Amino acid sequence: MTWPQHIIEQLKAYRIRFLSYIPDAIGEQVLKLARQDDFFDILPLAREEEGIGVVAGLYVGGERGAVLMPTAGVGNTVNGLASLAIPYQIPFPLFIGLRGDLGEFNAAQVPMGQALRPILESLRIPYFVLERPDEVDTMVEGALKLTYALELPVALLISTTLAGWKEEK
Amino acid sequence: MIKRLQATRYVVDQLTDEPIIASLGNAKFDLFTAKDRPQNFYMWNSMGLASSMGLGLAMARPHQKVIILDGDGALLMNLNSLTTAAARMPQNLIHVIWDNRQFELTGGQPTHTAFRADLGLLARGAGFDKVETIEEQAAFENAFSRALQEPGPWIIVALIGSERATGRPPKSPTFIKHRFMQSLGISPL
Repeated sequence: MTWPQHIIEQLKAYRIRFLSYIPDAIGEQVLKLARQDDFFDILPLAREEEGIGVVAGLYVGGERGAVLMPTAGVGNTVNGLASLAIPYQIPFPLFIGLRGDLGEFNAAQVPMGQALRPILESLRIPYFVLERPDEVDTMVEGALKLTYALELPVALLISTTLAGWKEEK
Repeated sequence: MIKRLQATRYVVDQLTDEPIIASLGNAKFDLFTAKDRPQNFYMWNSMGLASSMGLGLAMARPHQKVIILDGDGALLMNLNSLTTAAARMPQNLIHVIWDNRQFELTGGQPTHTAFRADLGLLARGAGFDKVETIEEQAAFENAFSRALQEPGPWIIVALIGSERATGRPPKSPTFIKHRFMQSLGISPL
């Protein structure tokens, strides 16, 4: 299986049916598969913080959701994470396509790329970096297990090592 | 002009077990005063996210009406949530916006509805067609009752006066969440 297929299979195994997203080239590799699978119900967002509200509403309504976004979008979600997901203890996986890191061509992506891990650490959100195809299945399963055990969000950072970087120089 | 507390009392009096997501500030304070019930989800912060959370809840519970009690300042902070909800058009969603044209809790500073913004027009522009902008209690009661009976999504912009709310709902976020989920018959997922 490819790494996006592993993610899809783990989402299904954990009954995570609702995917909310802001598109990026990395997350799209997962969404492309999800769109072909009747199990999933996909909601396009307009701004990333909405996804935190949506997944919280799904959860208290009895459904599990995941949120997918690019690195830049994490900056837009900080208050939603800090004031809703964490204090109300809303578990969900947050899939983040890494930008501003290895192979970046765009200087305007880099500061947020550098701030990403410190932001997650300062919010005490556990995160795991997906780098090797043969680790994806185990790491995603472990992260999903952790988020529902902890009843808090857990982030999965999809690296360019795994998903590829933009050709542009 | 509508009085927020009086209109909120009407809302809860019409409901049985339908859940309400109440935005931070006066929307949730008056909901608590009108009637504290386990199906009330009180947001203590996260300005703007009541609309998004209500959308998620409506998606999770398609066979039940879901009510959002929002404020103009909060919605203006997450205006794109209207276009997202309109992309989905959940028939069970009733989004009530108390519009007093000010940030009442922080001293009455004007919101953009005090200038030229019109939330009803913005909702129509986002793609909603069942949109009511209402200034009187009787009209509010008619609109809300209709929204409960007929498929939506409904957007009800209620033009209210300025009245500070005194109610203080439970403060523990996890208590609010667990009580709410239990009232819907949901165990931790």
